Amino acid sequence: MDFHAALALGLPLGIGIAAIGSGIGLGLIGQGAMQAIGRQPEATAKIQLAMIIIAALAEALTIYAFVTMFLLNSRI
Amino acid sequence: MGLEFLARIRRTTFWLAAIGALVTSTYVAPAFAVGLAAGALWSLANLFLIEKLVVGLTGADRGTAPALRRVALGAGGMPPLLGLGALLLARLPIPALMIGFLVPFAVLTLKAASLLLIPTALWRRVTRDPKIAALLVIAAIGLIWAALPARHLGGATGAIAAAEHATSAPAEAGGGHAAGTGGEESGPQKFPNFITVLHRAFPGAAWVTFLHHYEVIFFSLLVALILCVLAWAASRDARLIPRPFQNAVEAMVEALHDFIVGILGPRHGPRFVPFLGSLFLYILFMNLFGLIPFMESPTSNLNVTVALAVTVFLYAQFIGLRELGPVGYVDHLLGSPRDVTGWILAPLMLPIHILGELAKPISLSCRLFGNVFGEDMLLVAFVSLGITTLAFTHLPIGIPLQLPFLFLALLTSTLQALVFTVLSTIYFLLMLPHDDHGHEEAVQHAH
Repeated sequence: MDFHAALALGLPLGIGIAAIGSGIGLGLIGQGAMQAIGRQPEATAKIQLAMIIIAALAEALTIYAFVTMFLLNSRI
Repeated sequence: MGLEFLARIRRTTFWLAAIGALVTSTYVAPAFAVGLAAGALWSLANLFLIEKLVVGLTGADRGTAPALRRVALGAGGMPPLLGLGALLLARLPIPALMIGFLVPFAVLTLKAASLLLIPTALWRRVTRDPKIAALLVIAAIGLIWAALPARHLGGATGAIAAAEHATSAPAEAGGGHAAGTGGEESGPQKFPNFITVLHRAFPGAAWVTFLHHYEVIFFSLLVALILCVLAWAASRDARLIPRPFQNAVEAMVEALHDFIVGILGPRHGPRFVPFLGSLFLYILFMNLFGLIPFMESPTSNLNVTVALAVTVFLYAQFIGLRELGPVGYVDHLLGSPRDVTGWILAPLMLPIHILGELAKPISLSCRLFGNVFGEDMLLVAFVSLGITTLAFTHLPIGIPLQLPFLFLALLTSTLQALVFTVLSTIYFLLMLPHDDHGHEEAVQHAH
């Protein structure tokens, strides 16, 4: 397997693996937030704000893989 | 006039030299920029010493101890300064040094000229009506524009002509470079915006090449202009009982104000509402701008998002330095050590905090760029899929497969603008002194 084939195979795989990780993370965040809102509906605004921030942090990991893909895309 | 006038000249010169040094370091050469800055600083120091000397010798309190100290400072500082000047002349490019040296005098002359100009009847008549003044400013910019690009574009066409005429290896290298940058710009195929269309329609026309090269800046300025016009139109004829448009804008501003003050607290919050609120609106409009046909999201270019994130980063550091003071800022970076364990861990906390600070702008910019760019790519992929599905008919139509993803794009555009603003607000919050949080929590407990 030469460099280009390895890159062409590895880039989508890398994004997929990163997406699995942040998907699990986002699911856990959403679960926690929904349970918290269900238990305490009057604190919805605060919980949503914290949820969005943490969701953005978790989601950023996939975005990094995505940006890496675009950086290396031209070398395939 | 007087010393206050001199202080203003010093300030103007400082900023002018800083901006000039930045510009020349980018477009001319770093050594030239260093020379410019050194020349301006030397000139400023020289003026400062002369001022001390003159004030000490002719001021109202001449003969007293402070005045004598001033004279001694002015006279004693001169020889080292002259020696430094000789060293600079030997080390740095002399034209840059001369330009830097002349900057304060140019500022002085221009300021004096403007002081003479402002009381004249003609100037008063021109500036009385904002419309005439605006027209004059636009005319002046147009004149400068007409005078400047003549040289700039002449150089560009010369380069093109040289590339066309030469058939040797360097020309090929230049062509390859141009193709490389072109490929990088349009590398992953985006939707064509109207500048791309113009570029295809008039290949080689100088103004189109200019626009195409700076299209991101053009679009971001366009968005800023739209925001300015909206804000102006909403606040132009403000009434106590607002009309629908003013009402909508007021509701938006109020919501942003409440949101940011809710995070930062009532003491610090209101000061940062203008910055963070306009950040949110600007990013939101830039994200949504790409959904208009023949327009492009400036945020789908890493340069724009990095610029925004660097602005936030610098502002956060500035807030830290101003609110906590230099000592408090370093203390914050050390993790606020208060006991033995804290001081033992401080050498470990310092690199962690510094790396954390530096990671913030990177993650901010990459997140925004990745989301907006990825959303664009998604739309492009589904549009081309829709076209290839109907390719067998040989008709210029396609299935609008991208429609559901347009709604997704609306959602992510808003969400990413919100996330950028919220994270910037949190970074500011981390830099602010934490004293009033305990108070806030106490209030909450009281409830």
